[in-house]
Amino acid sequence: MNTREEVGEFSKLFNGFMTLMRRFIFKVLCVGPIPNHISFIMDGNRRFAKKHNLQDLDAGHRAGFVSVTHVLQYCQEIGVPYVTLYAFGHDNFRREPEEVKCVMDLMLEKIELTIDQAISGNLNNLKVIFIGDLNMLNERLKAAAQRLMEVTEENRGLMVVVCVAYSTSHEIVHAIRESCVKKCGDGDSPQVLEVSDIEECMYTSIVPDPALVIRTGGRDRLSNFMTWQTSKSLLHTTVALWPELGLWHLVWAILKFQRMQNYLQKKQELD
Amino acid sequence: MDFNDPMLALSSWIGQIGDFGLDLVWRFIHIVVTLWHIVSGIFESVESYAISLGLIQKYSSIDIEKLKCLAVVVDIEAARDVSKVIELLQWLTTIGVKQVGLFDSQGLLKKSKDMILEMVPRSVLLQETGEKHISPDRIALEFISSSDNKEAVVKAANILLEKYLKSIHPENGVGENVFTESHLNEALRVVGESVHVPDLLLVYGPVRSHLGFPAWRLRYTEIVHMGSLKYMRYGSLLKAIHKFTGVRQNYGV
Repeated sequence: MNTREEVGEFSKLFNGFMTLMRRFIFKVLCVGPIPNHISFIMDGNRRFAKKHNLQDLDAGHRAGFVSVTHVLQYCQEIGVPYVTLYAFGHDNFRREPEEVKCVMDLMLEKIELTIDQAISGNLNNLKVIFIGDLNMLNERLKAAAQRLMEVTEENRGLMVVVCVAYSTSHEIVHAIRESCVKKCGDGDSPQVLEVSDIEECMYTSIVPDPALVIRTGGRDRLSNFMTWQTSKSLLHTTVALWPELGLWHLVWAILKFQRMQNYLQKKQELD
Repeated sequence: MDFNDPMLALSSWIGQIGDFGLDLVWRFIHIVVTLWHIVSGIFESVESYAISLGLIQKYSSIDIEKLKCLAVVVDIEAARDVSKVIELLQWLTTIGVKQVGLFDSQGLLKKSKDMILEMVPRSVLLQETGEKHISPDRIALEFISSSDNKEAVVKAANILLEKYLKSIHPENGVGENVFTESHLNEALRVVGESVHVPDLLLVYGPVRSHLGFPAWRLRYTEIVHMGSLKYMRYGSLLKAIHKFTGVRQNYGV
């Protein structure tokens, strides 16, 4: 065997060993309660690019996408049923036009890649849903997102909700508008809105409230993300930037969730 | 047939031993995590004590003008001990905070509003003075509970529904667009709710969670977990406020 083949063999063995270790860690983690729904605020892509002197405008976001694939794989292996990713906020449209275009083009590229993977059966039964004000996206991106949702509609594995052009304030206003129009159309019922009427019309009505919210990048705010749905969620911040988020950060967050589970459950019962 | 039964029993037995082993490892990991939290808590206490004594230079002056509105979320159990809440407010008055929103999900602090206003020197109720009219030597207090969260938004939504119904054209059945953020802000004010967004939210309780603080007001608020109200420390409070004054908000841009 020559050196290249030896290195290749060693690499394969090492990867196999790391996969076994990871599966063992997850088996141990699963002895305790696992969050039903984890939301990720994926902050830090631009700082990652700056930190590593990456010149391209989308370099940090490309690194961020790699992190997305790892995190989804880990969540699937752990057995988390729902994951939400805060990919692009309503307020992010106020960034420089070149940067916004770059991010939109990157999203299109990755969605098209994911569609190919879904069609060829390499998506591990993932179901992908896009939520937010999708009318703010360009036609091609909107069509690609719609296509990915159609192609993965029958999948019954991990549900991945991607928030694009999303903000809580927009979601609440949108839900109020939709519920008002619905009430007007329904002549039989009383013309009074309830909390359930509004919650039914929210973008996030398709998933339960998150049990755990993980924000990368070291910031302590929710940045207009799911403030309505997170009253009983554990909010966890890590200083690691999103492309740096690894296995141990996720394990640490889940361990923290498991320590607080009794309190969170008691709070849920009280409310 | 006979060979399968002992094999099944053996594999079940091995499975049970495996599960027991995993359980032991899980418990061991949680013991280590708990020990880490205890040690980290001790370091935080020592640091907090040093800050209170003025031994750490950088916390000796805080640019309090940056903190226009502070909110404090208190766990239900902690909210029953009003004396600790009063002590916290007295500390905040000393630091120079001008406006504080106090939240607990069940409204226990709302019920103790009169006692708190009496016991905290120079305190006034925010609703009476309005945000723009707080004297420099006063601290304005606001009492918030879960009824100011989703229920308040629903009340405001019903005002918008009424407006929408009144504006429906008989020809096309379409009403005026009364569904914007500014319309909702206005409707919330009509139902008596504040729409002011706190700059900083301090959570006193076992868990870092906003526990149902009004969602409409929480958009860009920095949320800091302070631990238990029973064991609150002045130094930790100073540190949290100082850290906030160094934060740079980009509001998504």
